Amino acid sequence: MKKTRKVLAVLLTIILTLGLAACGGGGGSDSSGGTGDGTSITLFNSKNEIQEQFEELAKQYEEQTGVHVEVYYSQDTVSAHLATKYASKSPYTINMVDPKDIYTLGKQYGADMSGYDWVADTDYAITVDGKVLGFPTCIEARGILYNADAIKRVTGKDFDPSSINTLDDFKAFLDELVAGGMESPTAILKPDWSLAAHYLQQVYEEREDPEAFIQGLYAGEVDLMQDAKFNALMDTFDTLKAYNMFKAGAISAEDELVHQAMSEGQDAFQFGGCWEWNDILTYDYTGNIGIMPGPQNVQDAYTGMLVGGGSKYFYVDGSEYTSEADQKAAMDFLNWLATSDEGKTFVSETCGMVSPFRSNTVPCSNDIGVVVKQYVDAGKLVPNYDYDPDDHYSKLGIEMQKYLADQCTREELAAAIQNYWATTTPVEH
Amino acid sequence: MKRNTFSYKVKQYLMFGGVGTFLFCAVVIVPFIYGIYLTFTSWDGVSRDKPLVGFANYAAAFKDADFWMAMGRTVIYSVFAVVFINILAFAMAYLVTSGVKGQNFFRAGFFVPNLIGGIVLGYIWKFVFNRAFVAIGNAITGGTTTSLLATPRGAMFCLIFASVWQYAGYMMLIYVAGFMSVSDSLKEAAMIDGCTPAQAMRNVTIPLMRSSFVQCIFLSITRCFVIYDVNLSLTKGEPFGESVMAAMHVYNTAFTYKRYGQGQAEALILFIVCAIIGVTQEWIGKKGEVEA
Amino acid sequence: MTQNEKAAAAKKRNHAIMITILIILFILFIMPFILVIINVFKDKADIVSNPLALIGAHGFTLKNFPEAMRKMDFFNVFKNSLIITVSATFLTILISSMTSFVIVRNGKWKMCTAVFALMVASMVIPFQVLMVPLVSVYGGIFNILNSRITLIFMHVGFSVSMATFMFHGAIHSTIPLELEEAALIDGCTRWQTFWKIVFPLLKPTIATVTIIDAMAFWNDYLLPSLVLTRKEIYTIPIATQQFYGTYSTDIGLVMAALLLAMLPILILYLFLQKYIVAGVTSGAVKG
Repeated sequence: MKKTRKVLAVLLTIILTLGLAACGGGGGSDSSGGTGDGTSITLFNSKNEIQEQFEELAKQYEEQTGVHVEVYYSQDTVSAHLATKYASKSPYTINMVDPKDIYTLGKQYGADMSGYDWVADTDYAITVDGKVLGFPTCIEARGILYNADAIKRVTGKDFDPSSINTLDDFKAFLDELVAGGMESPTAILKPDWSLAAHYLQQVYEEREDPEAFIQGLYAGEVDLMQDAKFNALMDTFDTLKAYNMFKAGAISAEDELVHQAMSEGQDAFQFGGCWEWNDILTYDYTGNIGIMPGPQNVQDAYTGMLVGGGSKYFYVDGSEYTSEADQKAAMDFLNWLATSDEGKTFVSETCGMVSPFRSNTVPCSNDIGVVVKQYVDAGKLVPNYDYDPDDHYSKLGIEMQKYLADQCTREELAAAIQNYWATTTPVEH
Repeated sequence: MKRNTFSYKVKQYLMFGGVGTFLFCAVVIVPFIYGIYLTFTSWDGVSRDKPLVGFANYAAAFKDADFWMAMGRTVIYSVFAVVFINILAFAMAYLVTSGVKGQNFFRAGFFVPNLIGGIVLGYIWKFVFNRAFVAIGNAITGGTTTSLLATPRGAMFCLIFASVWQYAGYMMLIYVAGFMSVSDSLKEAAMIDGCTPAQAMRNVTIPLMRSSFVQCIFLSITRCFVIYDVNLSLTKGEPFGESVMAAMHVYNTAFTYKRYGQGQAEALILFIVCAIIGVTQEWIGKKGEVEA
Repeated sequence: MTQNEKAAAAKKRNHAIMITILIILFILFIMPFILVIINVFKDKADIVSNPLALIGAHGFTLKNFPEAMRKMDFFNVFKNSLIITVSATFLTILISSMTSFVIVRNGKWKMCTAVFALMVASMVIPFQVLMVPLVSVYGGIFNILNSRITLIFMHVGFSVSMATFMFHGAIHSTIPLELEEAALIDGCTRWQTFWKIVFPLLKPTIATVTIIDAMAFWNDYLLPSLVLTRKEIYTIPIATQQFYGTYSTDIGLVMAALLLAMLPILILYLFLQKYIVAGVTSGAVKG
């Protein structure tokens, strides 16, 4: 009994001390944590790989202007996280979201940024109902990644991506690599976002009027098996599948393995995009990785083009929870990000992203980004289609995974896609 | 002292249970009731307006085939997981209270999985199933072994395995406390009366540990039914969405598909199913106790 | 061989079998833990290419530790985690043992039955269901988020049901009513009876609940991430989230953070589990 009391006494003392420390440490919810002129704004960053760099940039900005920018990141789903922020009536001043969210979230809460210098400097701002709501962080594009070093090691020649225009060229080249000793020269990322939101998405995007095509899908009037683009892209997909180095475990190969294979030149081609740069860099990177358009046997206006556009948009919260002064400070910060030398260096060099702003001439430090930038400058970018329903990538991702694992035929895949669209409520925009 | 008046009862209750009940109501019941209100709206989770739609979300939930498939999967998973968790936990508790050398060391070891949060735990097992086992399999067969996580059944097995591994040590703790509370003198008395150790176990120890059983089974059922973390990090619903458990489906509906009201309605259904199972099991346990 | 020798030999054999089973189980249980320890000294490329190798191709490295500590602001978040875990666990134990006492000993009062049923039922509510309503009420209406004290009370509120459930079982089946009645006759009040007689007898359960709750609070991510939004009051799990991402996960850093974070709990466990044993051998239950 004595022992118990002793232990209790000790515990109680600990609690009291800690409790006092807690109170002393400031338990209150004071919002003014800033310095300088007292302005302090918050920024939600949903690109985890640049979190640390962003914090550095915020420090620089505070030194220059006295405005404190606190950069946050969350492990939770972006929409769930922002939902809790709005539910507690304390949203971030600046929010980084996907383009489609600008049309919903931004439309409701976003503040109009028209009149700022950066707006005229880009083709990628998102304007809704005459208000400029979305600030593009970067341009991201999709295509086939290649490791030129790995290829040269096998063929002995410098790789020229422009030599591969059709799927037949591609197949012949893959056979050459196989003959040269690279057993399986391709890889495919298996997550639903890559298969559905990035690959399948091209079926909608690479045509003259994507909107009309989507409306046709909603109405159940499209027969994908008769659609040249669908078949062309699936033929290419079949080829990637046939030479896949993770064929045996196509749907259990982790992204890390796929990235490592590309980075270290164990394979030569992989479907992907410029955002994978940071992952590729963390292994024994051989250098000389680039991106090229997916070769298809259908030759049309989109042959030789990458698919992509503005990505990761910022909107400034314009609701009653954010003061006018903070909104102004937030917009000033974004303008600084786009127009100042520090901002330009941050985007292109520090983070290796492709800047969506014409005046940014700082060279991109990302090998894939450099190539993407060339395509952008040449106007060879098929625009993104941003109005998919929210469950599109996960529901059709499942179907694409089945196809990847040879669990269904192309007919079944087409039927599943048609069925999905026909039974989904159209997205208003 | 009048012990039967209403005010005496209330005073007694508040003195002991007041703070606990207040906090419980404040953080669980109040939000829960507000959550029920939200099931009658077509709120998307973030927008200002929450238009009332009556029972539309419930109708949608009942028609949501994916939800019911996830529920079915959750039931199958829970049955296997609960049975194996409890068998293993009981056996381990028995072994580490039987006086073998280094039993404290073993107890600590079995408890280690609990020190790792669910998300990380899932990643670690993914590692083991996808890589280590495949590497070992390849070495043995000399051919190509596919990961267990690549097939729906395999993924289910992995989830059950990881859960058993995660919770057995935890439930073992409760069984250990149960074993400890059965006094040795009772067991010795039974042995002196001619019981074999097995008989002493069956007739003395196990009946006296009934409350441990009730607790462990209840806890493991409820834990398994709302599995989310491990599901997310170990299988993420893959392959082909055939390892999506109920809680994950609810979360996706509410946040990823932005149908908050429907997600909340499905969560409520999940809650009711769990509560019925939990309460039935409690009731059976209690009833047995009276008979014993 | 005499009867006694035979028995002794049998006992020895049983003992050996038990030890063998225990060792096999033990290896199985700590295998992933060992995996963590092995990989914490490797860099990311080596972890991905060969997680089972003892030493990676790039050699032995300690760089994961300082980097994880710096990125997390380790000492600060450690302090926060400690304050929150210790206070919340302590309060949970006190509050729920008291609550369960009044519920068990007054099983005939409708109020008690109702509260207990509600608590048991609430244990199966998935937390994701409550999170948006919770922040709507406490952030949107009362505006008391962003404070460690709020988090402590919320932790207690969420764990009180399960702790009460466990104490309920313990009081119900292991504390003889006669002991309390004797104390009441000796002139103790109910309050005194509880603290002097019942609470000390609950030691094994207290130790169990302490370890279970302390662990849950220490590792919890979702609730703290909703309540604590200022960086200076972050806890360890929120601070480690930086290492996870959609496209990339720096596994080496995760492992280092994990190892740093779990040591205190392991120590607590070793300390308390001695207590679980001590509680029974010296307690009054035996007599």
